[in-house]
Amino acid sequence: MAMVMATLLFSLLSLFFGRYPKPGFSVPLDWKSNALMRSILFNVRLPRIVLALLAGSMLSASGYAFQMLFSNPLVEPGFLGVSQGSAFGAALMIVLGASSTVAVQVSATAFGLLALAASYFLARRFRFGGWLLRLVLSGIAVSAIFSSGLAVVKLVAEPTKDLQDITFWMMGGLWNASWGQIFSIVWIVILCELIIISQRWKLNLLSLGEKTSFSVGINVKRDRTILLVVATVGTTLVISITGLIGWVGLITPHLARKMFGSESSFSLPASMVIGAFFLLFSDTIGRTLLPTEIPIGLVTSLIGAVIFIIILSLKHQEGKV
Amino acid sequence: MNILELHDVSFTYPSGTEALKQVSFSIEEGSSVALLGSNGAGKSTLLDVLLGMHPHASVTLCGKPLSSYGRKEVGRLIALVPQSEQFNFSFSLLEYTLFGRSPYLGQMQLPSALDAQIAWEALAEVGLAGFEERSITSLSGGEHQLLLLARSIAQQSRILLLDEPTSALDPANRRRTLSLLKRLHSRGKTLFFSTHDVNFAAELATHVVMLKGGRLLASGLTEEVVNTEMLTILYGTEMRAQTFDGHTLMY
Repeated sequence: MAMVMATLLFSLLSLFFGRYPKPGFSVPLDWKSNALMRSILFNVRLPRIVLALLAGSMLSASGYAFQMLFSNPLVEPGFLGVSQGSAFGAALMIVLGASSTVAVQVSATAFGLLALAASYFLARRFRFGGWLLRLVLSGIAVSAIFSSGLAVVKLVAEPTKDLQDITFWMMGGLWNASWGQIFSIVWIVILCELIIISQRWKLNLLSLGEKTSFSVGINVKRDRTILLVVATVGTTLVISITGLIGWVGLITPHLARKMFGSESSFSLPASMVIGAFFLLFSDTIGRTLLPTEIPIGLVTSLIGAVIFIIILSLKHQEGKV
Repeated sequence: MNILELHDVSFTYPSGTEALKQVSFSIEEGSSVALLGSNGAGKSTLLDVLLGMHPHASVTLCGKPLSSYGRKEVGRLIALVPQSEQFNFSFSLLEYTLFGRSPYLGQMQLPSALDAQIAWEALAEVGLAGFEERSITSLSGGEHQLLLLARSIAQQSRILLLDEPTSALDPANRRRTLSLLKRLHSRGKTLFFSTHDVNFAAELATHVVMLKGGRLLASGLTEEVVNTEMLTILYGTEMRAQTFDGHTLMY
């Protein structure tokens, strides 16, 4: 509860961080009479804050779900080629000259799902190792294919415009946030979050061995597939707007488990709140620290890597996360 | 009453390996059955079949085809104690034991205080009372095995399937596990366990099923089936028996 309050309080404070009317933190008392200030507060900063909270919680929920589903605390949503697939989809649409951001979003989402499907069906065809290992291997192969495709797209991209757009998309950013974009994804993203939260007990069970999960009444393949698809859809919808944002899905489940234990009843919702706070904090820093905006993906990578190093360097009482 | 029955059960893996060939036997409710066989005889596959992992129309549970049951229904009737479990997340002992209550929970339901009480009692039953908040990643091999048993006890099923329950245990923990399983059996729980430990089987089992090359070699009462001749055929190596301190030991 304290974390939720802290996140809401920081959201309110973040509304007053920016470069207008002066750089840094300022509370414009004349916002009612100042139309420009009103527009900046409610049409520029507030959508960014809402998008940061939505994206942070979704990426975190997906990361948490992936880690439990693969019984591996080092997994994140890009695991099955989803991130690379989405990046390829977005870059392709930019190069093809799509005039609307919706087209880029649709393409990123479609290719993210295509990557998931490709990883899944490849894993079914592989004749090597257990199901999880096959998924990991097929995810590596699919990621490599889409990475190559992305490199080709960048090679043919028009350098002064398209290549810049692709590069910025790859680094992630919330500068394009608008109410229209948010409304285009918010319902499905919230639905994905609710599904993952509602299945948090099952996530515990799916992190155990396949036979154990099965023996306590879980339909392992069905439930794992449903949760994978839900987590992937939520992730691709978010990154179709924000671009690639790394480390949120990897680091926040670790932090939540450190604070609330490994059982998902508390640590999953906590992870989502931490993810929302983390992304909002990173975005606020990214847009206020320097005169030019720092892409959020760079900020999350830097902070995330530092936190990751600290977590792994701490003396573990129990040896595992 | 037969709680589990198999009629001509065969199973072939997608790779073409024929693991079970026309296996038929039945398990009486309240009996304790040891599954004996050398490595690769099909013991693990048979346990998977009994658990319902390879749906088979010729397996009946409480008189109904096993494949006609829902997953949770099976979970309320059959619990599994795997040979070992890899722990990648540091759940507490109580949290892990609570996972055994899952067959009784609805789609989005979390365990209740009553479930926690049942899990707590299961931990006490195996001698892990007082360690409820300890992490499962800090357990010794013996405690690990006891925890797996605690989860299956919390499942309150009628049948307990155990995959080589003493394979990684020292003599003291072997004895603890044996006495615990005897206690569960004396309360009417049906036990079906695979093992390479013939003496453990002789001590605990009322009945024995012998598998050789995926085929049923013999099944019946322990005292009728377990003898040096049958064991020599089963393992393909000469087995001997010696009576010591009132107990017959086979080696």
